[in-house]
Amino acid sequence: MGRPGFVLEVDERTPPLLVHQGEGFRLQKFPLGTRAIYAPDPLPKIKGVRRAIREALENPHDSEPLRELLKPGMKLTIAIDDISLPLPPMQSPDIRQLVLEEVLELAARSGVEDVKLYMANSLHRRMNADEIKHAVGERVFRSFYPKDLKNHDAEDRDNLVYVGKTDEGEEVELNKRAMESDLLIYVNINLVAMDGGHKSVPVGLASYRSVRHHHNVHTMMHSKSYMDPRPGRSAIHDSCKRMGDLLKTNGLKVFTIETTLNNETFPEPFGFMNKREWEWSLLEQATYLAAKKANDLGPSPVRHQIWTRIKSPVGVTGINAGDTDAVHERTLARLHEQQLVEVSGQADIMVVGLPYIGPYNVNSIMNPILVHCLGLGYLFNMYRNMPVVRPGGAMIMFHPVPNEFHQVHHPSYVDFFEEVLAETTDPSTIESKFEERYATDPWYIHLYRNSYAYHGVHPFYMWYWGAYGRDYLGDVIIVGGDPKTVGRLGYRAASSFRDALEMAGETVGRSPSISYFHVPSYAIADVR
Amino acid sequence: MARRSFVHEVRDVAKGWRWGRRTMTPRSALQTTPPPKVWSFPTDWARTEAGKVARDVILDGALKPIIFNETSAEVFGLDNLEGVRGPVMFISNHSSHLDASIIMTTLPHGWRDKTATAAAKDYFFDVWWRSAFTALVYAGFPVERGAGERATAKAKELIRDGWSIIVFPEGTRSTDGWIQRFRHGTSRLALETGMTVVPIAIVGAYAAMPKGRAWPRKGRPPIRVRYGRPIVPAEGETHQQLSLRMQQGVAELFDEDRTSWWQAQHRAASHQTPKLSGPAGPGWLRTWEGSRPIRRSGEPPAWR
Repeated sequence: MGRPGFVLEVDERTPPLLVHQGEGFRLQKFPLGTRAIYAPDPLPKIKGVRRAIREALENPHDSEPLRELLKPGMKLTIAIDDISLPLPPMQSPDIRQLVLEEVLELAARSGVEDVKLYMANSLHRRMNADEIKHAVGERVFRSFYPKDLKNHDAEDRDNLVYVGKTDEGEEVELNKRAMESDLLIYVNINLVAMDGGHKSVPVGLASYRSVRHHHNVHTMMHSKSYMDPRPGRSAIHDSCKRMGDLLKTNGLKVFTIETTLNNETFPEPFGFMNKREWEWSLLEQATYLAAKKANDLGPSPVRHQIWTRIKSPVGVTGINAGDTDAVHERTLARLHEQQLVEVSGQADIMVVGLPYIGPYNVNSIMNPILVHCLGLGYLFNMYRNMPVVRPGGAMIMFHPVPNEFHQVHHPSYVDFFEEVLAETTDPSTIESKFEERYATDPWYIHLYRNSYAYHGVHPFYMWYWGAYGRDYLGDVIIVGGDPKTVGRLGYRAASSFRDALEMAGETVGRSPSISYFHVPSYAIADVR
Repeated sequence: MARRSFVHEVRDVAKGWRWGRRTMTPRSALQTTPPPKVWSFPTDWARTEAGKVARDVILDGALKPIIFNETSAEVFGLDNLEGVRGPVMFISNHSSHLDASIIMTTLPHGWRDKTATAAAKDYFFDVWWRSAFTALVYAGFPVERGAGERATAKAKELIRDGWSIIVFPEGTRSTDGWIQRFRHGTSRLALETGMTVVPIAIVGAYAAMPKGRAWPRKGRPPIRVRYGRPIVPAEGETHQQLSLRMQQGVAELFDEDRTSWWQAQHRAASHQTPKLSGPAGPGWLRTWEGSRPIRRSGEPPAWR
């Protein structure tokens, strides 16, 4: 059993703490009294994952065993979480591969012939063949790709079906094949509390017509936090739940398989990044120095390649199968065991180092809008009950925020940055004035369907993810950020942490309390 | 953003992780941080012939002149060692870093050449340079505090090889100058090995260089070292009984220092030797009394 989450109070004995800064990292001295929030130690991984999967399929929650649901002549569709999970991508074999192989083994033995697999990428970019092969494994890939293993296409009108409206008037449009199947199996990786449950099918296999009902400014402003999916706390999850119920009412039979991973984020030689700094051995200190020097010296493209190739050694900690609600309840319990940290009270300043990777720049570039999303969207929202920082407080992030975009993956982001943000940073104005045009732009739709581009509307959603954070915070400062780019985002850039604290003093006073949210590994601050 | 040079990075790491010094855990993390793995520094090399020569040079050439120059150290009772056959266990009160140095520099050469010092593994053997210093200068060997049987394994090995050992039965230095409870591990070891125990009282070391000081106070403070009569474990004696006799042995030497050998003997015979656990009362009072300067030997000068 690993140690639980921990809040360190920085004292004179505390060594400098590791801070991620995009494709770089550094040691940072924090003022005495700063609280540093650490995730629990990695939970022990399941030994014999295949056996655990078989047991989960044989003993599902609130459902018949999978083998009883599989019948000859049936139409079976399997949806799989896409490239945005896990972070960084896990070392082979990916847990999705192991689950799929067990599921397909059962299907083959049961005489099921009509099987289709979809990467549930919703409005995300399509995964390329190599990426799919890494996720599903060579055997599944060879058997099904490309005819029966595809990316979901949210703009393929011929393969979408309008299901109806929820009680709240939310339209639900879904992948037609999935809706017409006798059974839909969803294979999930639950990296953070936001994932999974009814957010899998009604989002992953939906279209813009459907997604826009919960991916909007109003929903985000009423999701406090969307990392806390308990009913009434997160409007986005409440909306997804309504959609999931509607699908069920309309006859969609979903067999959900959810998996949880531990916190073992970085492989060797970067293992020191997984550890609490004061526990670093001499070897780990030397490794830090060597890695830091090599990273600083390396040309930017080489550095990018090295970071991109990191595969996480995460271990599987839980596998649950069966009815979506029953499964997700158990998944969240296991996830909380790995990520929940009790924090007493809020701070005036929240500090966070943004790592090189987020859900939408796997094998890609973290552009300025994704920096905003990762910081004010995801990391700010990694809380239950109350944010780590008080209302009107300041958030200090570390990231270079270069003005760089991946031209293939993020074409609409470029225009969003140059056109939309140049005019306004207010989420509501952006939503009402620009969203529709970007979402229906034929060129972006073409790139989404035929190239590897995120949907035209995707940068808007990234902006909305951070809407509540923007509204809640009094100041956002990015240490080391390119001043011009940071200015376009509506934030302020500081050249050093000391300067950032000085600048934040204008908002929160001269003797602020500081909480450093130490990620990765990912934690959820349970603020009391 | 300006990058720090590699030299600065190394300096930051060296400072932050206290290179060459004892690692320290942030206070708030003490409960959740496992104790660091204690490195077992090899010490046998320091007890070779070459080690002994080097030790003699350091002790006689540097340490002894420093101690006897910086303090007014006096030694009494070495005659008690006459006729005693080693190995023996030297036990002493412990209130200063001077203690082991004083014993090693006052022991006759014949004894010192075959005497090793038990030193706390977590303190004296935590970083390489301190470990090397302890092993070489004191013929030190590590003792893991609170480790039971494992703690005395090395001591037993040395005793089998004919080495006498210096042990401080209190386990750590006194913080107020008064004697703390003797740990029973010492008397157990003496009983198990059947070795003779020689009590030593070091008077004035606390006043001269208490815990927290790295150099003796100015003014050549007086220190007196008194070797006592050997104590031989009796047949059927329990370790508790032996431990009490050991404490009594040290207490008599303190009494002898305060009064006279004759008076101390009388009080010991009538079980009236003053206890060394110090006065009851608040901590400051114990420290106050414990740090009271001891009298200098002989008559005070007429002009004072």
